Amino acid sequence: MIVRLAAILAALLLATPAQAQQKLTLLLDWFVNPDHGPLFVAQERGYFREAGLDVEMIAPSDPNDPPKLVAAGRADLAISYQPQLTIQAAEGLPLIRVATLVATPLNSLVVLRDGPVKSVADLKGKKIGFSVGGFEDALLKAMLEKHGLKLGDVTLININFALSPALLAGRVDAVIGAFRNFELNQLDIEGKPGRAFYVEEEGVPTYDELIVVANKARANDPSFRRFVDAVERGTTWMINHPQEGFQLFIRGRKDLDNELNRRAWNATLPRFAHSPAALDRARYVRFAEFLKAQGLIKQAPAVDSYAIELR
Amino acid sequence: MSVHAARLDYGGTPLFDELDFSLAAGQWTCVLGPSGVGKTTLLRLIAGLEEAAAGTSIAAGDGRPLAGRVAWMGQQDLLLPWLSALDNALLGARLRGEPDPGSERRSAAIELLKLVGLGGRLAARPAELSGGQRQRVALVRTLIEDRPVILMDEPFSSLDSVTRWKLQELAVELLAGRTVLLVTHDPREALRLGHRVHVMAGRPARLDRPLLLDPRTPRRLDDPALLTLESELIRRLAGAAEAA
Amino acid sequence: MRSLLRALLVFAGLCLVWQVFVTVTGIPPYLLPAPTRVFAALIDRADFLLPHALLTLAEIALGMLFGILLGGFSALTLARFAPARRWLLPVLVVSQAIPVFALAPLLVLWFGYGLASKVAAATLIIYFPVTSAFYDGLRHTERGWLDLARVMGATGGRELLLLRVPAALPGFASGVRVAAAVAPIGAVIGEWVGASAGLGYVMLQANARMQIDVMFAALLVLGLMAVTLYYAIDAALRRFIPWLPESLTASSKE
Repeated sequence: MIVRLAAILAALLLATPAQAQQKLTLLLDWFVNPDHGPLFVAQERGYFREAGLDVEMIAPSDPNDPPKLVAAGRADLAISYQPQLTIQAAEGLPLIRVATLVATPLNSLVVLRDGPVKSVADLKGKKIGFSVGGFEDALLKAMLEKHGLKLGDVTLININFALSPALLAGRVDAVIGAFRNFELNQLDIEGKPGRAFYVEEEGVPTYDELIVVANKARANDPSFRRFVDAVERGTTWMINHPQEGFQLFIRGRKDLDNELNRRAWNATLPRFAHSPAALDRARYVRFAEFLKAQGLIKQAPAVDSYAIELR
Repeated sequence: MSVHAARLDYGGTPLFDELDFSLAAGQWTCVLGPSGVGKTTLLRLIAGLEEAAAGTSIAAGDGRPLAGRVAWMGQQDLLLPWLSALDNALLGARLRGEPDPGSERRSAAIELLKLVGLGGRLAARPAELSGGQRQRVALVRTLIEDRPVILMDEPFSSLDSVTRWKLQELAVELLAGRTVLLVTHDPREALRLGHRVHVMAGRPARLDRPLLLDPRTPRRLDDPALLTLESELIRRLAGAAEAA
Repeated sequence: MRSLLRALLVFAGLCLVWQVFVTVTGIPPYLLPAPTRVFAALIDRADFLLPHALLTLAEIALGMLFGILLGGFSALTLARFAPARRWLLPVLVVSQAIPVFALAPLLVLWFGYGLASKVAAATLIIYFPVTSAFYDGLRHTERGWLDLARVMGATGGRELLLLRVPAALPGFASGVRVAAAVAPIGAVIGEWVGASAGLGYVMLQANARMQIDVMFAALLVLGLMAVTLYYAIDAALRRFIPWLPESLTASSKE
């Protein structure tokens, strides 16, 4: 009898967790796409719940908003980009990187495969489309310099995120800011495959394309480490079960179930950070120096002031 | 000219029906009546601005159509604010697209404007003129049209009594010899200016037998004979107001 | 001169309120910079901002020109030809209902990334206000004048040209005033969607680089341009239509 009572008591105690689920708002960088795979897998597999977290993921209308909102304390976490974070930190925004989601660059210079441009050098006198990300011209400058060209040798046209349509319509000869896992597949599906020149192969130091940032004042919040651990579990599971991972990604989100996402999923798989919490200081220092040399920032801020490896 | 068996429907009910009356050539006919009885509508009918029901006949004494032989002077001066006094006076020719009025018509207009005391205001815009001055320009404009029949809808009612007085004298002088139909609500004005005075009454409205007055106008209202007529007129008007 | 002084005072007052707001709320500069920072950025980057400002001004001016011409012509057509009303009026309403933001990418696709698409966007955004105001004015001509014209024997065309058009000019003027206030929006939206120059582009770029003070500086320049344009157009209208009793400032004896 006492054993049964004890068992019931124990069951009751275990059923209610010691602390209520902590709410975290995570602002995505763009509309939901396969780059966010580990997050949704962690969500669907219950890894966030098991870590005592209730994560709300919100897609923004303007990609420039999420870091600002986190800096202003209106959201807990945001997906951002290492280059943008460096610039923002140099401008004094109180942001700090707490994890890496995609550990390789995704940005690339894309041309039509069957077009006249076969190498970066062929871009002389051509039109290059870009969307205003803040530092595309710096990337381009470095890439062109490697092939003996100057920024003045090309015409830059702001096409504001309509990258593939502009390339397909022939309005521009190349686009920069195209994500190699996404836009390349988009062009493929349209029947006009593209060719990508990868920025890190053309004179730009390599960097983390997608990172998780938080407000500096809360850098040591224990829930963040738990969050990153859950993301790591999601990544690992995804790599082990890629196709089931995709099914979890589209579960309850019918609009994501399309050919482009299917292809992008497979293309992004090898690029997720296997150890999201890990930080390579030298990589951040190197990229900050690159931005300074390009004149985008006046001073390279100390890495520890804007990037941390959570304990 | 005469109006015979005129019928005009307004909102489903006949405003007037079997309305007969005639205008004597070269004389002033005045029409009085309570508001809403249809005086202005009758005027507009003759002017060609309203459509009458079938059976109506509006004809000139000589049998030719009235169109193009009528001039209109409304309650407001209807001067166009962007034209000068002189250009307003010459409006008719402009609107009809007649070749440049030619110095003849133009100097006639200038003479007339001088006559009515606006010689120094030829280039003035209506906004710079007083109410009386504007009506004088309207009068000149009406004259320049040189039409045999003049239709006037309470043209002096918005002016103060002194200005009205002067303008009445001017109108009589300048419109001498033309056939004038004047709608007014002022019995004294009718008695001062009209050769025949009708009262319009009833629903559907009719015109009664006119009061006939002697040919010399404008008359002096202190004439005792006129006072008798005035009381008769007011009696008829009161009756008309009751019938409405 | 006096109205200019008044305008400057109002502007100074607004800046004061802005500064107080920033100081009291402690809002971070990357969300809302203080006026001091914005003015510093304005002076610092003046040579950079000037050519962009001139380009946007050109887009606005051309957009207004085409919009007014097209609108005036459409209103006259609507007033003169009854069948036109049946077909043109729905087009007019649709042009207003669809937000320019949605059409801008199409405009860029058709007219390219240069000046033409921005001018088209500005034209589109003012087409309805101008046409509607002018057409309303043409429709509601004083009845007395129309009567007079009819009795005088005016032809339809002359009545339109000599009577209804001048009478409708005040209505047309109010449409043009609205256009002056709204055309800058069209030009900037056009730039957001596809441009490499102009104040809209500068705002986008500065925002992406977290140079919010520069973004606000560009915004300030745009605002000043728009206000100046409005007052200039208003003064021109009053000169061109001197018989208008109303005017923006109290007296016309400035």
